[in-house]
Amino acid sequence: MNIQGFHYAMDEMLQALLLFWIPIAMVPLGLWLSMSSASKSTTAYGKYLAFLGIIMICLSPWTVPSSPSSAAGHLLGAIIGPCMLIIIGIYLISFSGNVPVGKLPRSDRRLGVLMSGAGFVWLAGMHWWILTPQLSPDEVNPYWYVFWPTFILLTSCLASCSAVTLLTIGDRRRTESNAMFVVSGLSMAILLLGLNIDGPLVQADEFREHLWLAVADMAGIAVGSLLSILVFAFVIYSYERSLPSPKAIEPPTSSELDQVSTLLQAHLGGEEE
Amino acid sequence: MKESSLSMTWRMILLAFLLPPLLIVALDITFYGAFNGVDSSVSFTRFANATLTAYTLCSLFLLGNLFFYGESRNRPLAPLVGMVVATLLGIVATAFFIGQGPMLLEDNGSVQAQGIYNIVHMFVSSGAILMAVCVALGVTFSAITSQKLRSDFDLEEE
Repeated sequence: MNIQGFHYAMDEMLQALLLFWIPIAMVPLGLWLSMSSASKSTTAYGKYLAFLGIIMICLSPWTVPSSPSSAAGHLLGAIIGPCMLIIIGIYLISFSGNVPVGKLPRSDRRLGVLMSGAGFVWLAGMHWWILTPQLSPDEVNPYWYVFWPTFILLTSCLASCSAVTLLTIGDRRRTESNAMFVVSGLSMAILLLGLNIDGPLVQADEFREHLWLAVADMAGIAVGSLLSILVFAFVIYSYERSLPSPKAIEPPTSSELDQVSTLLQAHLGGEEE
Repeated sequence: MKESSLSMTWRMILLAFLLPPLLIVALDITFYGAFNGVDSSVSFTRFANATLTAYTLCSLFLLGNLFFYGESRNRPLAPLVGMVVATLLGIVATAFFIGQGPMLLEDNGSVQAQGIYNIVHMFVSSGAILMAVCVALGVTFSAITSQKLRSDFDLEEE
């Protein structure tokens, strides 16, 4: 996909702020408003805000072509289709099974499998076919090298983890565990293919290099997030410890006890069925 | 569950999580006789940048969560100040370490460019992580719901 931006008479930094960073901030703000507000209008407003933010991020390669960060918007636009197919497909498969609430028709199961499969094939086509996200002819979006190895490797790790969890903690979950081993094995097979078979634009050596960078990235994210959570827990613990202990109150008097027992007597029992 | 058995279970789950990358390393060593494709200095740079960025962004997120914590505590200032200091520490540490030279600068020319790149990179990585979690949880759930319904009566019989 060739990107040719619109041209405005605006400072590049201001352009990036207005058309990329503010839309990025709109997404979490919108989600927060839609999830935390009790009023229906604010919830709807939050949803629209988040949706508008996503649209503006996807349009950023055209609206802010001078900013290198807009490549992330380009990637979002490229992967949103297959990712939505996978998520909706999994939703259809899950809720067409034995669920107590929100059960979908049994026929949705086939549609779900088809949608998830199409999503995965689409993503695989971005590696081994002509669908690779490109900023200009033969220039692969650099963030594709971040997303794809991280997603495939972590899917394999989590599916394997889930399979063992079902076996060890679950009760009679061998069939489900086997299904998860299959998912882990398929992801692993995609990884091994990527490490050994070149795509038209993505070479196996490049993929190998980015796979280990993805491992370093995930380790860094885990360490940084844990450190931050520890600091947060320490701040809360220090504050709670500095609070004075609550005042002890007098025990109830005999008249208060009498009043309570009268109330209890009045409310005990029930109508005979 | 006995404590030793529980600890064994946790170890098995952790090992299962680490199994795919370990398998790739094992295959690399078996077929190529070496651990291919890893430049330790580049990997360290990425690890350090990811750690600093994740710490700062996660602290910012938790700072936002103090808003809800404050609602049940008459809005105290002390934890808010503590968390603001922790977040600022992350920002200052990131700027300081990136400013030290090529150690944490990837293909970017300045501290500001590297900082912005780190944030965007973190968004993309987080998106990939979120997607992988959705797929793993979703497939686990669909594997469970695709089985026959178990009744409490069956469990009681056992």
